[in-house]
Order: sequence, then C-alpha cells, then structure tokens
Amino acid sequence: MRSTRRLEEMEATASSVVPDAPPVVTLECVDLVKNFGGVRAVDGVSLSFEAGKVTALVGPNGAGKTTLFHLLTGSIKPDSGAILYRGSPIQGLPPWTVAQMGIGRLFQDVRIFPNLTVLENVLVARPIQRGERALVSLFAPRVVVKEEADSTDRASEWLDRVGLSEHADQPAQALSYGQQKLLAIARLLAAGSDVLLLDEPTAGVNPMLIKRLLTIIRDLSGGGRTVVLIEHNVNVVLDVADWVYFLDEGQVAAFGLPQEVLSDPVVRGLYLGLRA
Amino acid sequence: MNYLWHILVMISIYAILAASLNLVTGYSGLLSLCHAAFYGIGAYVTTLLMMRAGFGFLPAMALGAALTALISLAIAIPSLRLRGDYFVLATLGFQVIIFGVLYNWVSLTQGPYGIPGIPIPVILGIPVDTVFRYALLSGALAVACLVMIRAVARSPFGRLLRAVRDDEIAAAALGKNVPRIKITVFALGAAFAAVPGALFAGYMRFIDPTSFTLAEAIFILSIVVIGGAGSLAGPVLGAAFMVLLPEALRFLQMPDAVAANMRQIIYGLLLVVLMRFRPQGFLGKYGFE
Repeated sequence: MRSTRRLEEMEATASSVVPDAPPVVTLECVDLVKNFGGVRAVDGVSLSFEAGKVTALVGPNGAGKTTLFHLLTGSIKPDSGAILYRGSPIQGLPPWTVAQMGIGRLFQDVRIFPNLTVLENVLVARPIQRGERALVSLFAPRVVVKEEADSTDRASEWLDRVGLSEHADQPAQALSYGQQKLLAIARLLAAGSDVLLLDEPTAGVNPMLIKRLLTIIRDLSGGGRTVVLIEHNVNVVLDVADWVYFLDEGQVAAFGLPQEVLSDPVVRGLYLGLRA
Repeated sequence: MNYLWHILVMISIYAILAASLNLVTGYSGLLSLCHAAFYGIGAYVTTLLMMRAGFGFLPAMALGAALTALISLAIAIPSLRLRGDYFVLATLGFQVIIFGVLYNWVSLTQGPYGIPGIPIPVILGIPVDTVFRYALLSGALAVACLVMIRAVARSPFGRLLRAVRDDEIAAAALGKNVPRIKITVFALGAAFAAVPGALFAGYMRFIDPTSFTLAEAIFILSIVVIGGAGSLAGPVLGAAFMVLLPEALRFLQMPDAVAANMRQIIYGLLLVVLMRFRPQGFLGKYGFE
C-alpha cells in the first residue's frame, strides 16, 4: 500500500516539473506478470517510456529488471498483462518481430558475434538485406555487391560514431569488454532501433569508455530515441536519466525524477544499503 | 588410367557432399547426421525420373534436388525448435527413417534388391559412357556446386549463418528470423546433396539402400570435420584425403580383408588424434564446442 501511495505522489511531483510539449510514449507495459515456478519475478508492473527521454530502471538484484527486458523484447512471454509499442499490443510476438518493429536491446553479457569481424557484426545488424535471402545470394550476385557497398559505408559510419573504426577488420572477440559494449551499441544503431533497452551498459567498463558511452546515450535520446537503461551506478543514473523507476521484488516501488527517487529514504535503505 | 578417373569421380561426389554439409554444420553450427538420407533421396528420385518418366539426366537431377529440399522441410520444421544434442538425435532418427523407407517401399525402390540398369547419362547429346567422360561430368558439376556454395558462404546470407552460429539469441534480438534461416540453409544443403546422389546413380548404374546408411552420414560428417568445418577448401581437401587413404593402403600390398579393417582403424585414430590436437580440422577456423 505504502509503495502505491508513494508512486502517486511521485507522479504528481513529476508532472508539475515538466511543462513542455506532451510526452510521446513509445513503449509501455500494463499489469505485467511473470512467474517462474513458484517465484513471481514480475508482479503487476506498469511502466511507460517516452521518446527523447532516458528512463532508468534501478533496484536490488532479483527485482525483476532483466526479466522485464526479456518480456519487453519477446524473449519470454508474460503470464498476463499487456505490452504496447506505439499503442499496439506486441506481447506474444517472437523476438525478431519485436526487433524489426524497432525495439533494440543491449544484453547484460553483450552477446557480440565473436568469430565475425567488428565490421561484420555491424553489417549483420542492418535490416532488410536482400543479400540475406539464400536464393538472391545464389542467383543475383550483382544485387548483393551493390547493396553490400552501401551497407559497408553505413556500417563504417556507425563504427566511427562509437570510435571503433580502427578495429573494423579485427575479430570481435579481440576487443576489450568495454569496446564490445560500444560495438553492441553500434549494432543497435545499424539495426535502426527506435527504442533502446540497455542492460547495465556501464558495468565492467573503464571510466574513459563510460564517458564515451554516456555521450552516445545522451545523443541518442536527444535525437528523439527512447532510451531505457538498467543501471546500478548511482552517478550514471543522476547524470543521464530523465526518469527513474525503482523496482523491488517484481513491483514498481517508486517513480520520479532521479534526485527524488534516489534520495528517498526507503529507496536508500533497500537499494543503497543505507539506513532509512 | 581409368583408375585415376574413377578416383576423381569419387572425390567429386564426396567433395559436393562435404561442402553442402559444411553449409549446415560448419557455417550454421547445425550438427546433422542425415546427410546420407538427402544423398540417397537425390539418387533415387533422379533414377526413378529417368527410368519411369523418361527424364534426361540433368533435368532429373535438378528436379531431384528440388524435391530433396522439399523433403528436408519435413525434418527441419519440427526439429529446429530442438536445441543442440536433441537436434542431432532428430536428424539421426530421420536418417534411419529414410533408410527404412528406401529398404521397405519395394514397389517404388525395389527395396533391398536395388535398382539395376540405370541409363547412362546423356549430356548435350553426348553419352557419358566412359570413366573419363564421367570424371569430366562429375568434375564439372563439383566445380559448379562448389562455386555456388562459395557464393552463398561469402554473401550476406553466409554472414548471417555465421552470426546465428555464434549467438542465435543476439541474432534474433537484431530482427533476424532465426528458425527461417536455419530451415533455409538445411533445405539448401539437402538440395546440393542430391547432386552427388544423381552422379553416384548414373556412375554405378545400380543403387540400393546400403549406400545411404547412417554409417555413410557419419563418413560425410567426418570429412567435414577432418577437412575443416566453416572453411571453403576444407571439405574438398577432406574428401580427397578420405577417398585417397584406402587407395594408398592398397599399394601397401595388404590383403583385402585386412585393408578394410585397417582403414576403419585409421579413420578412427585420425578422428581421435585430430580432435585432441586440431579440433578445427586441417583448414577450418572453428572447432566444435
């Protein structure tokens, strides 16, 4: 009960702070529930994410944050509840269809293609390639050559954007962990994702690369994309997030501006391990 | 001289078989134990179209390839939901079923008696009636198939296959329809396997189910593994090696009964030693996890 009231209070404060144009909600979920055996990992969660904003999901381990990303991207199916992308329900669609609609994801464990080169990793991500059809690749090589030249130009631009151009021809597994995260982001950009779900983008990344990452994240949301990040680093949340959801035990415990949520005594107690 | 041409025919047949399986197993990471089934379906369909429907060799072969690809869907669509080891077992089951069908559907395949008297292929009005001519035909078809397989492997589709092999969850998260990709490459591999089936039937002029057993499927897989999965030249080198090895033993003046057993022992030893010291094969880039 207490947490619900808190949420309402937070929302009230939040809306009074933002006087600008009405927000465009791109991705939202309503009363989402997911059980694993006897464990209720996600327990009636409703969230909404706006275009041009960075929304952070914070909370202790096991709060259900990554499970939410699994649900939002179609990797697992919810037991009940709805997921809406620009107003249309997408729950139950397979992950590739969700991705084709424009919802991209950075995995916690990065998941680059280790045996492909850095450039190939980005090339693969480009949507709708005629050369990816077996029969076209077999019988219409010219179409493929032209398309490839175009794809390569664009992929190089994305690599340039994340600062990995000089590594283009190396196998991706030769990159450092932080560079692999940048590569995974370049891949999302090449895929043309409109909503970016980033699962701990800064974890295990050295401070130099974190700076570069945060600049990219800010640019992306500034350019109108919807960015959602799961983040444990409080400074990162305060730095880039516009909104914060605090999750605990599969429920939304608080929502609001970063300073408010992170200075909330209950949140500090649960999440930061400080006495309320 | 005919002896050398005969060896060339056999190398061509196994090179196409291994290269087509390499698309499925080497590039896409789908370990399959039913390639001999597709090889056999290609051989039987080509034979039956020539003998019962009066088709020429090449049209019968082309239709055989298309039909084999279609039949491969019967295994691919239900099995590709299975992961790893379970998929391998499903392909093994399919191999056993196809052998059973070839063996028992007597009205169509003449079962264990086999089909004798397969007509000599005629290409552009020229009968391929000497071993030399057959070596030319099979060599030309092998080159054509290998060029096409290389084009597929180097295309964006080939890149997609390697991406799926590396991490299918990541590929799906980038909007790639992973099941469709796997089904496509499986059908493509099956279609290419039908070509050596047709070549084998036209060459031997007799087929029976014992040429298309699980042991044959394992033999083809071992060519891929020894030559090097995921490389373009690996399957050709592997095929040459595996065909030439028993021939080399012949020159050691070993009695036939001993040589056959010797060959099995050498194959086995070779696989064990290779897996220990060079799991990616002679020319391959990736080992099997």
